Amino acid sequence: MFIKYKLLWGGLFHKKLRLFLSVIGIIIGVASLLLMNSFGESAKIKTLKEIETFGPEVMMVVAGSVKVHGGRAIQTEITTTLKPADAEALRKIKGIKYLSPVFNGDGIIRYLGNNLTTIVNGVNEEYLLLRKFPLLEGRNFLKDEILGYKKVAILGYKIKRELFEDKNSIGKIILINKLPFRVIGVLAPIGIDASNTDQDDQILIPWTVAISAVYNVDYIRSIYLSVENLEEIHLIEKQINKILLKRHKVSERNKDFDIVKAEDILQVKTQTTELFSTLVKSISILCLFVGALGVTAIMTLSVNERKKEIGIRKALGAEDKNILFQFLAESVFITSLGGAIGILIGVVGSLIFLPLFDYPLVFPWIPILTSTLLTIFSGIIAGIYPAYKATQVDPIILLRHNF
Amino acid sequence: MVKKLVILKNITKTYYTGKVAYQVLKGISLEVEEGEFLAIMGASGSGKSTLLNIIGLLDKPDSGIYIFDGQEVNQLTKKELAYLRNRKIGFVFQAFYLVPWATALENVLLPLLYRGKINKEDEKKAVELLKRLRLEKRINAKPNELSGGEQQRVAIARALITNPKLLLADEPTGNLDSKSSQEVMNIFKELNENGITIIMVTHDPEIADFAKKIKIIKDGTFIKE
Ligand SMILES: Nc1ncnc2c1ncn2[C@@H]1O[C@H](COP(=O)(O)OP(=O)(O)OP(=O)(O)O)[C@@H](O)[C@H]1O
Ligand SMILES: [Mg+2]
Repeated sequence: MFIKYKLLWGGLFHKKLRLFLSVIGIIIGVASLLLMNSFGESAKIKTLKEIETFGPEVMMVVAGSVKVHGGRAIQTEITTTLKPADAEALRKIKGIKYLSPVFNGDGIIRYLGNNLTTIVNGVNEEYLLLRKFPLLEGRNFLKDEILGYKKVAILGYKIKRELFEDKNSIGKIILINKLPFRVIGVLAPIGIDASNTDQDDQILIPWTVAISAVYNVDYIRSIYLSVENLEEIHLIEKQINKILLKRHKVSERNKDFDIVKAEDILQVKTQTTELFSTLVKSISILCLFVGALGVTAIMTLSVNERKKEIGIRKALGAEDKNILFQFLAESVFITSLGGAIGILIGVVGSLIFLPLFDYPLVFPWIPILTSTLLTIFSGIIAGIYPAYKATQVDPIILLRHNF
Repeated sequence: MVKKLVILKNITKTYYTGKVAYQVLKGISLEVEEGEFLAIMGASGSGKSTLLNIIGLLDKPDSGIYIFDGQEVNQLTKKELAYLRNRKIGFVFQAFYLVPWATALENVLLPLLYRGKINKEDEKKAVELLKRLRLEKRINAKPNELSGGEQQRVAIARALITNPKLLLADEPTGNLDSKSSQEVMNIFKELNENGITIIMVTHDPEIADFAKKIKIIKDGTFIKE
């Protein structure tokens, strides 16, 4: 039984270097195809997860006009027209659950000779609830601390690690832009959210203190709010829009604020990921195609070199279909071998690179399946021409002594 | 009455190189009975191999009739010709044409690949054949580890594994020294004595002497005896 397959396949392993060379294009094609597909799958999951940290029921009113660009909400110009009073006005809308004015700025933080810069977010006591940020230690702001301009701070996880390491931070005094703040809480690790900012690299303080003592302005940058009932979100968005247009005395055309929902970010994000992954998939398929062409070239060469073998097989009774099948099978085998190695590299690569780039780990079942099918398919395509060439070999050449 | 294995009537064959036509066979007629041992001789380029290709069903004549083992072969399909080659004809070539990456044993079994299965019986038979040809120590050797004479003996074993009626040999000793040539011819003689019909092409009169009958090609036809 073994001899049968040896006689059918033995020619393949005769030239090992060549076998390797013909396989390498396929390996690269399949590996990159698989890797890119896994990244694509993972990116989808990642986006969904990020949106979860933002929450579908959360909305932002942002001063200035905002462009959602590559999944990032970018404030294109600083506008000073969004006031704390606007936030108060929005509170009257029915169906709003939490609402927090936000003023964010850069801050230089000091603690016992340790210096660092981070983002300082001025918020109220509802902000943590609204964003669903859990506390690792300490407590949330109190309403009185917001109203009473108390210099208290909640540290992002990374900030706490950098300033205090393992030591206790609650009750300690840190300097934010030279002003002393008492630490009352530390956030649990959150990671990067839908707006692509690292939520572990921030300090939260009362917004009242932020706009007065720290930054000395009379406006806020944004208002975060969440709705009681997700179905009402579009309705509430309209109401907000109406109220603010009226308060700012502007029209829809030249309005100085923007309302951003999780939904909007998700949309743009999936669009960009999809565009990217289509592009990359096309390139990988091109790679695979070039690899297949390589197999065609090498197999054609091999057929030319093995004319005597083909001739003798025919003289001994092989039909055209036997020869066709033999060489087609060789091409499919070469491509499949490359495919298998490519898949292996792709899978190992995914398992290494996904965590490295902070992508959620997914085992790429679907990409493996598609790569396998594509590989076998391209093997057959690659093999057609050389296999046909092989059937055209005429056994009469065997009796030509100058051959 | 002795059966006629090969009947050729007025066979012609013309080759074209570009627009130049060259008629190699100009009406060859030949009858070979079962059990015969025929040597075909002739100058280089006289068409001996061309004729052997036709007899071996590897090529078709331009005109004329060829009846092989009672069957008119002109109308046969490629598939039917392949079947006949596999079942009834064994080939031995000047350049052996062993498959380089396969062992002696595997080479001998190659014709059976095109019958479907290769089973233990077949392997046994191949080993016996190799033993009969005094290759028992070379069963697992690759062609490049064998001498010319050994390679030709492997090729003979390959031709015999299918129990063919007809053995065709084109200059079987052309690449061999005289000792190996004698050896191969003795094998042919013994095979013929055991009933196999042999048609052999050769330049060498000494080799041709092993045959029971000699025919000479000249100017595209056989010289009359
Ligand atoms: N496929 C072909 N196309 C064109 N010409 C051919 C072809 N095959 C053979 N010939 C020519 O036909 C003639 C006869 O060739 P063939 O091989 O039959 O001669 P031969 O008698 O076997 O010669 P040798 O003793 O040298 O082997 C030669 O002149 C050869 O060049
Ligand atoms: Mg010749």
